[in-house]
Amino acid sequence: MTSQAQPHAEHFDAHGHKDHGHTIVSVATLRTVLALLLFFTLLTVGATLVEVWIADTFNVLIPQWVNVFVALSIAAVKTVIVVMFFMQLKYDSPLNTMIFVFTLLTVCFFLGFTVLDLGNRGTIDRFKEGHILRGGTGLGTGMPITQSSKIAAVTNQTYDEHLAHHAHHGPRLPITEAGYVSKVPLAGSSAQRSKPVQGITLEGLSVPAAQTEDEHGEGPAH
Amino acid sequence: MATIDLGKHGAHGSAPVNDDRPYHERYQAAHHFVDREHEFDAVKMGVWLFLSTEVLLFSGMFVAYAIFRMMYPDAFLSGSAHLDYRWGLLNTVVLLLSSYTVAAAVRHAQTGNQKWLQINIILTFIAGLIFLTIKGVFEYYKKYSEGLLPGKFYSYPYAENVPYEPLWWGIYWGATGIHASHVIVGMGLFAWLYVRSRKRHFGPGHYNAVEGVGLYWHIVDIVWIFLFPMLYLIH
Repeated sequence: MTSQAQPHAEHFDAHGHKDHGHTIVSVATLRTVLALLLFFTLLTVGATLVEVWIADTFNVLIPQWVNVFVALSIAAVKTVIVVMFFMQLKYDSPLNTMIFVFTLLTVCFFLGFTVLDLGNRGTIDRFKEGHILRGGTGLGTGMPITQSSKIAAVTNQTYDEHLAHHAHHGPRLPITEAGYVSKVPLAGSSAQRSKPVQGITLEGLSVPAAQTEDEHGEGPAH
Repeated sequence: MATIDLGKHGAHGSAPVNDDRPYHERYQAAHHFVDREHEFDAVKMGVWLFLSTEVLLFSGMFVAYAIFRMMYPDAFLSGSAHLDYRWGLLNTVVLLLSSYTVAAAVRHAQTGNQKWLQINIILTFIAGLIFLTIKGVFEYYKKYSEGLLPGKFYSYPYAENVPYEPLWWGIYWGATGIHASHVIVGMGLFAWLYVRSRKRHFGPGHYNAVEGVGLYWHIVDIVWIFLFPMLYLIH
């Protein structure tokens, strides 16, 4: 009943024997691939644990992309050996390989262009950087918007402090504090002409004289 | 079933009227194929095309993951800290073993070893069951009872000021949920395969279904291979 008696002869190859032109992958190959997969799994976990250990022991900040890159490359290797040997794509018609490879290429385009775009949003206009978008209205928390926006304001402040070590330019100031608006009133100025004021120290405002006007000699921005 | 002499389409020549051979020996390819080989190649290509659509489905989740991880890295960091990587590691090992058993099942179908074919199908089914149990009991139920749910259902009582964490939970539940539903479907397919293998439907000349379901299960495993480090090993 187990019909080993095939109408035509079987020829043996390096990986097992052929049957009707189908390659039968040998048990040794399957077990080797399984061992490799388990090894790479432990390697992924180990790499992350090592990374955490390094960061904690030597007090260094390892950029996130290192973690992602290592994890993804090990996962890619595992995928390749699963596809080639467990799914037998190696012994299969090349058309199936093309189908799969072009699918992966599509995914790479999808992911690649999205990440490229998102990663470079802040290049020209800084306020378009992804992680500047904060706040939100707290919709869905069931709170009235007036209350949730107050919470959001406090949250954003602590979020900024939390993120300060990620920021390239230091903690972000609200726009009123960022130097666009002058704090010191300009005495003697009129609508047609602004006169620089030096040496005035007002209570509570210890602004050095050089900061009473911006570099264009103009008054407060509107 | 009685065989029909299809003339030049008969795989092994004209069959006797009372055919007591097992199904996989009597099986004749659908008449629009030249022979069983042709049908097998066509079935395989069809499955690979379907797997392409599955890969693209999961790629949608992965791109969503990438977008939100880039925009809110801290939310992902703190959210991932709630996940125990050891359960994820155990699930990964279980799925890798199931990939091995399914490849072994295909091999046993190819060599006509009916007993071990059935055993491996059952083992794969059990591996899927273990995966779902670990996921459901030790991960999903725990997260649900702590309120770590996606989006507007988020109600974790000890939430720190990490503003977008419900987004992370949306990604987590969405990605693992879609993957788990694929595992459930796969288990249904293996149950179907087991019933058919008991009826001796599969053998060296005909094992299309075993091959096809095996390919599907490997894609499910590959998706988890990517999900595990992306969700559990964020540091």
